[in-house]
Amino acid sequence: MTVTSRLEQVAERVETRRAMLSRLLDPDETTLGALLLAPAAVLLGGVIVYPVCKLLYTSFLDLSLTSGAPARFVGLANFQQMLEDPVFWQATWNTILITLITVPGALVVGLGLALLANLPFNIRWPVRLSLLIPWALPLSFAGLIFAWFFHSEYGVVNDVLNRVGLPGAIWFNSPRLAFAAICLTITWKASSFMAMIILAGLQTIPRSLYEAADVDGAGRVRQFFEITLPLLKPTIVVALIFRTIAALQTFDIPYMMTGGGPGTSTATLAMYIHQNTVSFLDLGYGSALAVVMFILSMCVTAVYLRMISGREGAR
Amino acid sequence: MSATAISTSGSLLSGKPLRAVAAVILIVNGLFPALWILLTSFKTEAELTLKPITWLPHAPTLQNYMQAFADQPLLIFLFNSFMVALLSTALTLLISVLAAYALARLNLRFRGLIMSLIIAVSTFPLVTLLVPLFETMRALDLLNTWTALILPYTVLSLPVCTLVLTSFFEGIPRDLENAAMIDGCTRFGALFRVVVPLSAPGVFTAGILAFVNSWDEFLLALSFNSNPALRTLPVGIQLYQGEFAFPWPVISAALVVGIVPVAVLIVIFQERVVSGLTAGGLKG
Repeated sequence: MTVTSRLEQVAERVETRRAMLSRLLDPDETTLGALLLAPAAVLLGGVIVYPVCKLLYTSFLDLSLTSGAPARFVGLANFQQMLEDPVFWQATWNTILITLITVPGALVVGLGLALLANLPFNIRWPVRLSLLIPWALPLSFAGLIFAWFFHSEYGVVNDVLNRVGLPGAIWFNSPRLAFAAICLTITWKASSFMAMIILAGLQTIPRSLYEAADVDGAGRVRQFFEITLPLLKPTIVVALIFRTIAALQTFDIPYMMTGGGPGTSTATLAMYIHQNTVSFLDLGYGSALAVVMFILSMCVTAVYLRMISGREGAR
Repeated sequence: MSATAISTSGSLLSGKPLRAVAAVILIVNGLFPALWILLTSFKTEAELTLKPITWLPHAPTLQNYMQAFADQPLLIFLFNSFMVALLSTALTLLISVLAAYALARLNLRFRGLIMSLIIAVSTFPLVTLLVPLFETMRALDLLNTWTALILPYTVLSLPVCTLVLTSFFEGIPRDLENAAMIDGCTRFGALFRVVVPLSAPGVFTAGILAFVNSWDEFLLALSFNSNPALRTLPVGIQLYQGEFAFPWPVISAALVVGIVPVAVLIVIFQERVVSGLTAGGLKG
C-alpha cells in the first residue's frame, strides 16, 4: 500500500465523519424530533416507567430488607394483608377525607381570594405577593409554622380564641381537633395557588360582558353566577384535578404537625407508605400500598385526560 | 333607574373602603404566617413562655439566629438545598428546551400523543416512586448523595417546564429562525442563538418554577438523604427538635433563613412567576 493511497483513505474517512457530523448537526425533521425528545424520553423512562414496572413487580414479593431473606414471590399476599390491616384503612380513609375537605375548601377560599385580588387596586404588587408567598412556602415549613400556631400553651390560635372569650384547645391531643388543624393548614396552603389560577382566568373575561349585563339590569350576584362562573369553569376544572392529585399525596403537613398522631388517627396513605418503606424497610408491603396510591391518582388523571380530549374534539 | 343601579353597585364593589378591606384580608391571609415566624425568631425563650403571649417582641434579639447556625449545620443544609435545586433546574431546562423546541416547531406525527403523555406525567404521584427509587438508590449506593434527589426532581419539573417553554417557543416568529438558517446557522445553531435568547423570559420562568419545586420537596429528601451532611433544608430543620424540647425561637430563625432566598426570588420576579404558573401548566 502506497503512502498516497493511505492518505486518501484517511481523507475519505475524515470526509465520511464530517458528513456524519453535519447530518447530526443538521438532520431532517423526523430524526431531529427524535433526537430532541430522546433525553426527555430516557429520563422519563428511567425515573418513571422503569420504577413503576418495578413497583408493580415488587408488590407481589415478600421483600423485607431487615430480615435479610431473599425476595420471595407471594402473589397477592401483600394485598390480602392490606385488607386486614386497620392502619391501612385508617390512612386511606384519612387521605380521602382530606381530599374531600381540602379540595372544595381550597376552591371556595381561592375563589374568594381571587375575586378580592381582581378588584382594581392602584398598586398591584402587595396583592400579588400575598398570593405568591404562600405558594412558594415549602409545605413542610407551612406544617411547622401552623404547628406553632396551634400550640396549646403559646400558640397564636388559642391566644386569639381567648381574646374573643372562647376557651383554647389542646389541638394535637384530640384526633378530631388535630385532623381539623391539618385540614385548615392544607386549605390555607392550597388556596393561594388556586386563587392565582382563578385570578388569571378572571382577567381573561372581557369587561364588555359585564357592561352589557349592567345595561340589561342584571345585578352583581346574577352576573357572578351567569357570566363569571360559567366562563371560569374550564380553569376551575383543571385546577381542581391538579389539587385532587396533590391532596391524595398529602404527606408534609401532617408529618410535620402531628407525625400521624395521636396514635395513627391523622396518618395518611403517603405517610404509611413512607413508614413501611423507609422505617420498616418492608418494600413488598410498601409497594402494595403505593400501588393503591397509583390507582387512585390514575383514576383522577384518566378523568382529566378525557376532559381535555373532549374539549379538543369539540373545537 | 338602571344608571343609579350601576353607580351604587359600582361604588359598593369597587369603592375605596372595600378595596382597603380586600387588601387587608389578602395580605393578612398571605403574609401573616411568615410574619409570625419572623416575630417569633426575634423573641427570647423567656418571652415566649409569657402568658398571655406577646405579639411584638419586647426585647428583639438576634441570639436565635446565631443559635440556629451554631446548633446545626444550617449553612450545609442551605448549600445542599441550593446545589440540588440549581443542578436539577439546569438539567430540567436543558432537557425541556430541546423537547419543547421539537413540540413547538417540528411537524411531529405523534405530537398530540406526546403532549397528552406530558400532561399525564405532570399528574404523576411522586409518592409512588418512593419505594422503587428507594430500592434502586439503595442498590446503587446512591442514598445520601445529591444525585439521588437531582434525578427525581428533574422529572418532577420536566412536564411543567416543557409546557411553559412550548408555549413560549410558539410565540417566536419562525421567520427569524429561517433567516438564521439561511445565513448558515444549523438548526441547533438557530435554536441556541436565536430561539433561546428570544425566549429568555420563558426559560427563566421555567427555571424559577423548577427551582422552587426542588427547594420545597420534602418526602424524597427525607427518605433518601438522612445523613446530616447531605440533608436539604426542609429535612435538616427537623434536627432542631430535641426529644422533649421544641426550641421554637431557634426553629423560627432557621425557617426565616430558609424562606428568605425563595422570597427574594419571588419578590424580584413576581410577574414572571405568575405568567409561568398560569401559562404553562398547573402544579403546586
